[in-house]
This record gives sequence, structure tokens and C-alpha cells, in this order.
Amino acid sequence: MSAVVTENLTKRYGDLIAVDNLSFEVPAGQLLAVLGPNGAGKTTTLEMLEGFTAPTSGTIRVLGADPRRGGRAWRARVGLVLQSTSLDKGLTVAELLSVFGRAYPAPRPVADVLDIVDLADEAQTKVGVLSGGQRRRVDLAIGIIGSPDILFLDEPTTGLDPEARRHAWLAVKNLTSSGTTVVLTTHYIDEADYLADRVVVISAGQIIADTTPPELRAAAGVSTLSYPLTDEAIAAGLPPALSPYLDADGRSLVVRTADLSPVLAELVRWAEALHLGLAGLEVGPPSLEEAYLAITGDLTRTGDAPS
Amino acid sequence: MIETAPPPAQASREPARSRPRLPNPVSLLGGQVRYQARLLLAGTNALAIGVGLPVILLVASNARHSQLGAADIAGYAVFGLTVTAWNTHGVSLVAAREAGILKRWRATPLPRWCYLSGRIITTTLIGVLSAAVTILAGVLFYGTRLTAGAIVCALVALVLGAFAWAAAATAVTGVVRGVEAAGPTFILIYFPVIVLSGVLGSVQLPHWLTTVASYLPAEPLTGAVTSSLRHAPGTPLLPAHDVAVLAAWALGSLAAAVVLFRWEPSRPVQRRAARATR
Repeated sequence: MSAVVTENLTKRYGDLIAVDNLSFEVPAGQLLAVLGPNGAGKTTTLEMLEGFTAPTSGTIRVLGADPRRGGRAWRARVGLVLQSTSLDKGLTVAELLSVFGRAYPAPRPVADVLDIVDLADEAQTKVGVLSGGQRRRVDLAIGIIGSPDILFLDEPTTGLDPEARRHAWLAVKNLTSSGTTVVLTTHYIDEADYLADRVVVISAGQIIADTTPPELRAAAGVSTLSYPLTDEAIAAGLPPALSPYLDADGRSLVVRTADLSPVLAELVRWAEALHLGLAGLEVGPPSLEEAYLAITGDLTRTGDAPS
Repeated sequence: MIETAPPPAQASREPARSRPRLPNPVSLLGGQVRYQARLLLAGTNALAIGVGLPVILLVASNARHSQLGAADIAGYAVFGLTVTAWNTHGVSLVAAREAGILKRWRATPLPRWCYLSGRIITTTLIGVLSAAVTILAGVLFYGTRLTAGAIVCALVALVLGAFAWAAAATAVTGVVRGVEAAGPTFILIYFPVIVLSGVLGSVQLPHWLTTVASYLPAEPLTGAVTSSLRHAPGTPLLPAHDVAVLAAWALGSLAAAVVLFRWEPSRPVQRRAARATR
């Protein structure tokens, strides 16, 4: 059973094609991360799934219904966190959650939700005096107060400090382990790597990758090698074949390429000739961020991947 | 494009599982009124302007008088009511929309009419409270006499008037683009209407302008409250014309609000270079 099904989903604003012919499904219980650069169409896609924006053409089914026609019963099964914080600041955290919870047929107890988002200590604090990260977690708390079957998260951790992001991630992990379907947009590749079962990369309104994080890394077609140079190695000088891979501070080799073999062979020959050890040498697949940049073309543009 | 088959779900839920019944809309409306009242009363500035300012102006302008006419008391009462029902309500509604709060509520199973009705009813109650405090000041300091009939009639006029002003402000929010424009827009409409209607003191106007003012929501409201407080022999406590005009404004504004009201913040559309359609 799919929680989300879209077919040929398109959204135009005048001449601008914000979302271009997207077709994808999200199985129930899956956490899908939607990645893409600014203006790629992530939020427009999410707003169509949430029912805020009507598609120009194509069809959407979320929990079996058209989001634009979803009634109260449908909205009771859908939770969301908008891209920016949207909270009344005059109430305490517990009061606000209680007010929102009353709208749902089966709200989670406020205390449970506060525990999930790690805000139990702030229950009686007015929302207006919370930090930005805490307010974002209140947003998340409101998103889950109704025990949703599907949760849409639009860049939920943007602007949070690393610790707050970790708290938010754990909260989302808790939800997925209880079977909630989650559709997440994010700029943070590590967030997608940590949370997502599946990654969809959107660029210029089109899907350019739809896969799992490990497969995205593999499909990027590049491997990485890094080797910190000792003073002895720097003094000896690099052979011409390795010089292009010297990093900006001149103290290590960083190679990202589809075929590492010639570079690795040259490195080993050079090291043996100079009787250098290869301590610190790392060879492996790219990080998800490197893979993302490779498929969106940014890696090439920044010159990190010599051809 | 990189594509693999979607991985199997970690867990699945029965989509058609039975769910508890949705909450009763009437109890939701009660909850919304309490919630909005809590928010409005927490905003001390709005309360001070709506309730405190008319009383301060009344006392400061009439320090040497021990008696004031019903029209004067009614004017100050209507001033406080309209400040709350028009300016405070309108500006705060735009602010909530632009902050994404309305959009957030729209995504919940709360019926949309519940949210809007909750706001309008709360504003009406606070507006009436504001007018009542001013009238009470008239009773305490300026010899205003209240009978049971006067209280009931004044209350009817105030409730109808506050509702009409709040509904009109709700409709106008739909054409106000952002928070920065909200204050000036509401003030720009408010003061000419209030001054022309003689709420802050009688003004000499051409006949045609007096006629126009009698069909705006301020003059009939002031007239109805004045009649209620004056209880002159042979005159109705609630003039039919005033009640009819206020009722027409209430219904017309509500209809306009249904058409014009927006839940979404005003946001510029992100521009990306247009591509040819495939």
C-alpha cells in the first residue's frame, strides 16, 4: 500500500515550470528524503502533497485521497511542519499543544509529545521566549500531536544547532519506527543519510535520482582517495601524475574520480621508490554529499573532480 | 536518472483502520474562543488601547464636567469597540496569516469556519467589554443612568456593531498584502469613517455626506447606543434604521470575508529561468 502516489505532477507559475512531470510513490512506513538545490521545486512538491497548492496537471493521492479534496478525516491523518516556524507566541508550550491536540480525534498525550521532542522541561515556558531550535521542535510537536499516518517535514532542522538537529532526528526516527510515513525535504545531506530509507533528488523541477542512500553513493560513479602528506613526502615532491590532486593547503592528496586504479598505482610506485609509508591513506566510496554534488553537477563546477 | 525500485517499507499501517470520531465542531468552537481570548488578553498593548484608551480620553477631555450626554459616552464607547474590532482584529489577523499561523491551522482537522468564527466571536466579546468599561465610567463619573432595558438594548447594538466591524476587518485582510501594509491600511480606512460619523464629536458636514455616513457602520452604532442610554420618552431604544444598517454590514461583510479571506502568507514566487515545455 502506497501512502503517496503522484503521476505526471506538474506545477507552472506563468512561464516558470516549478515542478515538471513528477511521478513517484512512497510506500507506507517509508521515510523519503527529497533533496535538491534552492528553487528545485521541493517545497512546491510538498505543498501539492499537503493540499495547499493545486497542481497545474497530473494527479496526486495521499492516503488514498486527493489532498485538495481531503476533508477533516483526511487532515486528521496528516501531520506537517512548514518551512518556517508558525506559532502563537503568547501561550506556553503545553497550552499550545493542548489547543492543537483538541482538533484531532486521537491526539497523543501532551506529555508524550513533549518527551518525543525533548521539550518536557519547557512545558510551562511561553513559546515567545524559546530559542529558535526549541520553537522548531514545538513545530514538530504540533505536527505529530494528532498521531498522523503521514508526516510532511519541510526543512525541519534548518537553522538548528547540531545538538538540536540530533534531538529532532531522534524524534523523527521514533516516529518512523512506529510506522509513520515521512516525506522530508532537506538541504542537509547528513540528515538524509541518517534518516532516509530512500532519497529523491530534484533539480529544476524534475527527478534526477530516486534511490537509497547507499545506492546513490555507488551510482555517483566516483570513488575517493585521501592521503595526508608527511614533511618528507612534500620535500621529495609529487610526480606529475599526482600533482593535480594536491589540495589547496598542499598537505594532502584528495582524489575523486570514476577510476582510482591508475592514481593508486602511481601513488604506490612513488611511495615505494621513496620508502614512504602510506599511513593515513583512505580509499572508499564517496559520502552522500559528494554523490549528491556529483549528480547535481556542483562537484564538477567547483573543480573538486579532475577529469 | 538514477533509479532503483523503492525499498520495501519498514512497517505498514492499516490505512482503513477504524479511527475515533472527529471532535464535535461546537466544542471546538468553544475551545477556539477560549484560545483566542487568551491570546488577545495576553497582548497587553491591544487591551490597553481598546479598553484603556477610550476611558483615559473620556476622563481627560471632560475633567471639568460632572455630567455628560449619552451621545458623548456612546461615542467614546464606540471608539474603544471599533479600535478593537477593526484595527486590533484586522492587523493581528494579517500578522497571523503572514507568520504562517493560519496556514498551520488550515492543515488541521479543525473546520475552517471554527477558526474564523472563534476569532470573530472573541473580538466581538472583547470589543463589547471595551465599550462596557467606558459606559461604566460614564455611570461612575458622568451621571449616565442605566435601566435594564437600556442595558439590553445597548448590548444588542454593541454585539451587532462589534460583529459587523470584525467581519468587515476580516474581509479587508484578504486584500492587504503584508504586515507592513496592515497598520496603515486599517488606519487609513478607520479614521475618516470615525470622524465623518461623529464618533469623536459632532462635525458639520454637507447633507449628502451625512447621508453617506448614516449608512457606514460607525454612525448607526453610535446612534443605537446613544438611543439606548438616553431612553428619551417616545423614542425607541433601538432605532430600526440603525439596527438594519448594522445587520446589513454584518451579513455583507461576512459574505465578503468568505470570498476574500486568504489563509496563505503573501510570498513572492521563486523565479527560475523558464524552460521550454517538453
